[in-house]
Amino acid sequence: MAIIKAIFTILGLILLFIGILIFVFELAGFVKYRYILNRMHAAGMGDTLGIFICLFGLVLICGFSFVSAKLLLVIAFLWFASPTASHLISRLEAVTDEEINKYVDVQTEGNLSEYLRKEDKDLTEILNEEEEEEDE
Amino acid sequence: MTLDMFTDKVYSVVLVILAIMVLVCLFRAVIGPRVPDRIVSVNMMGTMVMVIIAILAVKNNEGYLADICVLYAMISFLAVVVLCKVYLGVYLEKKKTDDKKKEETEDGDH
Repeated sequence: MAIIKAIFTILGLILLFIGILIFVFELAGFVKYRYILNRMHAAGMGDTLGIFICLFGLVLICGFSFVSAKLLLVIAFLWFASPTASHLISRLEAVTDEEINKYVDVQTEGNLSEYLRKEDKDLTEILNEEEEEEDE
Repeated sequence: MTLDMFTDKVYSVVLVILAIMVLVCLFRAVIGPRVPDRIVSVNMMGTMVMVIIAILAVKNNEGYLADICVLYAMISFLAVVVLCKVYLGVYLEKKKTDDKKKEETEDGDH
């Protein structure tokens, strides 16, 4: 039994180290790029994968106990929450950026806020409209 | 060198690396020229702090610190959602008042 536990411990440490390496790559991408959407691409992917591998390594070290269950709960919650946060931040960027035509091919002239103010609509109404048109 | 001493040393090295990365994120949060830059860096700092808390919970053999990890995840997600909604509302309102002022001045000129 001691040998199996030692094997799991070493495997867990290796996974922990790989997870930290993924965080270092994410940080390198975050610092290098100049535009917010590129940075967010690196941050969103690096966060979810890095924390999954790090915490999975810790679960292997701990074995079968309550601590491992709590860490798996953290992973499950974060895999739902992090993509949602990325979506919200990119929506904020699309609406409030003044110079978005320099970087992104946008169909409306200027950023989304001018379109919203002319039509006097809300963001949720626009998203529902597009879904209805696709259905019809 | 037994396995326990080896794991302790590995934990220390990993904690130091994570702490340096948190400082680099803070640097970008201060400089970043626009608001979404700062929100993304705060989110990243929260994730790295969660890994630090989990490692400390395993290292000192104190299982109750993993609860703090769960709570921190929920609160950092909530912070991102609230910041985005508030900033979006403030920006759209400010633009609407600017539009109304422009219309009033144009009507006054005519």
